[in-house]
Amino acid sequence: MAEALVVRNLSKRFGGLRAVQDVSFSVREGETLALIGPNGAGKTTSFNLITGYFRPDAGSVLAFGRELVGLRPHEVCAHGLARTFQVARPFGRMTVLANVMTGAFLRHRKPDRAEMRAREVLDFVGLAARADVPARDLTTIDQRRLEMARALATDPRLLLLDEVMAGLNPAEIDQAVALVEKLSRRGLTVVVVEHVMRAVMALARHIVVLDHGQKIADGDPAEVMANEGVIRAYLGTGYAQAAASGGGAC
Amino acid sequence: MRRPRGSGGLWLGALILAMLVLPQIVSNDFAIDIFIRVLLFAFIGVAWNLIGGYARQLSLGHAAYFGLGAYTSTILQIRFGVSPWIGMPAGGIVAMLASLPIGSLCFRLRGPYFAIATIATAQVLMLLFLKFRDFAWGAEGTTIPDLGNAPLMMQFEAKSAYYYIALALLAIGLAITAWIERSWIGYYLVAVGEDEDAAEAVGVNALRIKRNIYLVSAFLTALAGTFYVQYIYFIDPNTAFSFNISVEAALVSIVGGIGTLWGPVLGTVLLEATSALLQSWLGGSHGGVQLTVYGLILIAVILWRPAGLLGVLTDVYRRLLRAGATPAKAAPIDG
Amino acid sequence: MLTAVAQAIVNGLLIGGIYSLVSIGVTLIFGVVKIVNFAQGEFVMIGMYISFFLATRFGIDPLVSLAVSMPVLFVIGMLLQHFLIRRVLALGDMPQIFLTFALSLLLMNVALLLFTANYRTVETPYSEAAIHLGGITVAVAKLIAFVVAMVLSLVLWVFLHATDLGKAMRAAAQNRDVAMLMGINPDRVFAVAVGVSLALAGAAGSLLMPFYPAYPMVGQVFVLMAFVAVVLGTLGNVTGALIASLMMGVAESLGIQFVGADSGLIVVFAMLLLTLAVRPSGLFGGWTR
Repeated sequence: MAEALVVRNLSKRFGGLRAVQDVSFSVREGETLALIGPNGAGKTTSFNLITGYFRPDAGSVLAFGRELVGLRPHEVCAHGLARTFQVARPFGRMTVLANVMTGAFLRHRKPDRAEMRAREVLDFVGLAARADVPARDLTTIDQRRLEMARALATDPRLLLLDEVMAGLNPAEIDQAVALVEKLSRRGLTVVVVEHVMRAVMALARHIVVLDHGQKIADGDPAEVMANEGVIRAYLGTGYAQAAASGGGAC
Repeated sequence: MRRPRGSGGLWLGALILAMLVLPQIVSNDFAIDIFIRVLLFAFIGVAWNLIGGYARQLSLGHAAYFGLGAYTSTILQIRFGVSPWIGMPAGGIVAMLASLPIGSLCFRLRGPYFAIATIATAQVLMLLFLKFRDFAWGAEGTTIPDLGNAPLMMQFEAKSAYYYIALALLAIGLAITAWIERSWIGYYLVAVGEDEDAAEAVGVNALRIKRNIYLVSAFLTALAGTFYVQYIYFIDPNTAFSFNISVEAALVSIVGGIGTLWGPVLGTVLLEATSALLQSWLGGSHGGVQLTVYGLILIAVILWRPAGLLGVLTDVYRRLLRAGATPAKAAPIDG
Repeated sequence: MLTAVAQAIVNGLLIGGIYSLVSIGVTLIFGVVKIVNFAQGEFVMIGMYISFFLATRFGIDPLVSLAVSMPVLFVIGMLLQHFLIRRVLALGDMPQIFLTFALSLLLMNVALLLFTANYRTVETPYSEAAIHLGGITVAVAKLIAFVVAMVLSLVLWVFLHATDLGKAMRAAAQNRDVAMLMGINPDRVFAVAVGVSLALAGAAGSLLMPFYPAYPMVGQVFVLMAFVAVVLGTLGNVTGALIASLMMGVAESLGIQFVGADSGLIVVFAMLLLTLAVRPSGLFGGWTR
């Protein structure tokens, strides 16, 4: 299968801090990749570099054959990469429907068409009943759903989800995992940054592990789990605990 | 952003009819003068509201465009004999051209930085026009030659003619706003006003949409400038670039309902009615009363109703509907 | 020519001292409370009227009435924070900008109602006095104002760096969340910050009184200058505001000297717009928000 996203030698410093160092990985079309690692490993920074919010100091980001470095965030989105934010950022003054319509307007300028598309997406994520509620009044999980719906409404080819499971209870995590699986089955390429190992294991056939801004492992779940560096840096504490506590969040 | 259709069209028709016959019923010049002020400032408020209300770029420098419009048409008229009917859109275009560099400078700034930078641009323009003695009459300003009744030069004997021009301007401003509010542009503006980064993430070119709506806002504000000079037959930098214009443009929207179609209109009616009442109670000699009251109203609105007084009205209206045994349908909340 | 330049620089530095009191106040409130106080100039105006009335009714020298105007404005600042600013802190840009803006409108026009638009001046024994130094004239009243302004700035600096309350303020300015975790009571720190800012504005008012007329709109001159200085010096940065204010004073004075009497402000605003175009974050450091 073709490569959807190829990240090569990506680097970014903030003052003295090397947030991302020489990171390379690639995502095949239709695949779900999980980007994992301890706090401060550079996962969200990588998202921001890929989607145009930060400009990398070095390296390249190729998506569906096009170089993304130097593009502004809206151009990245128009090219088919939609993202969510770690802390949901709904447009609070708008209703849920209007939020998602704002995303849909990217491909459908006519309000009727955009509304149709938005309602489809709201249905898909299970927010249809809350369409007319002001976005600021949503619960945490519904805000995450809205965040995803708004991204999906732009009809992306690649979806980047930044910790959509954080703060959810186990039942909600199952719902969210089911949602992402449903997207994946429809052929969408997905990259998730995730701390919840249960979700990672359920979703990803391909895992990239970052630590202190560097890639320390890359492969299928079994390979990654067997990797000594990973166990030392990350799973040694985190996963063991998670396993002991019945598979919750690390 | 969509409003439930229904009795709205009827109300609008009645309102338009009432506004059209109003000067035929009230022929008192003092009253018509107040109506004209209301229409004009409501129009300026509507123009400000596009960039300041929907996109939340809180400009305090709209006097820049008001003044450019006023000066462009006046210079064209007095120096070149061009009718203000042509000078008016010409002023609008000059304002649009000026808004490009001003915008590219100010839009990189957020919140208070943006407001301060816009104040500075309007002040710079005023100070420049104070210096332009050769072609813009410097600090003394100039009077517009009175040609009697000359409709082609936008001069009329009857005050009602000015009333209808101002009414037409306001109608144009509201129509543009209503159209924008319903289209993708309105959604994009509100999204940018809420969270630029999040808006970019769903494909909104924040810089471009801000620049474009600023063009429209500057154009409309400049039309008001031309009209005002024609109405008072006088121009000088302190009038044309008055900080009070910038203030009132923002104030009427905030008091009425920032980022709503009718907010600026409601705000102007309230503020101008208050100021007219104060004037008739106290006489014209008490400088400061009007702005003191404006300041108090603004503080009160910000502390108790930051969304503006339009919300209070619609709440009351809905409650009345409900009291009238109509099952209240949940309306989409927006703006 | 050289004397003219030197004279303009001296004049600029002297008035820049007053600007710095106003700008430090603006920047302190912004740094700690994250609010731009559009009414700061009106508190200078109030300080001027306090000194004016104490001078005309009781014959108290404006420099002595500093001891009244500063504490009075400090208290006004605490009340302002407690009853008004505190209530909009959780709201967005619009209420935050327009609250103090409305306050400015209100105070100016209340002053107009109470005191009329007339210019009020106070004659002191040193109002007309001047020192001559090799062709350069230094007005004594301005020199005193400058020296006192610099002393007050130094006192503030020491307060911010050597006292617990001052350190708490700096911590709150740098990172509000961390400051709260450290157990700093934000209500108290904010109120003191606004109080100190207003006291500085009051001091500026009293110091101006011997050589500058009081009138209801007088604050506008100083607040505009302060905004420029504060943006140049980076919002929230006290030392930056001080240096930028002195620069502003000199730029304005040179503009008046060499471009024309009404050109001082053009030069200043041109500098502001140029700075914003080249370095939107100000001359002295990064974004504060």
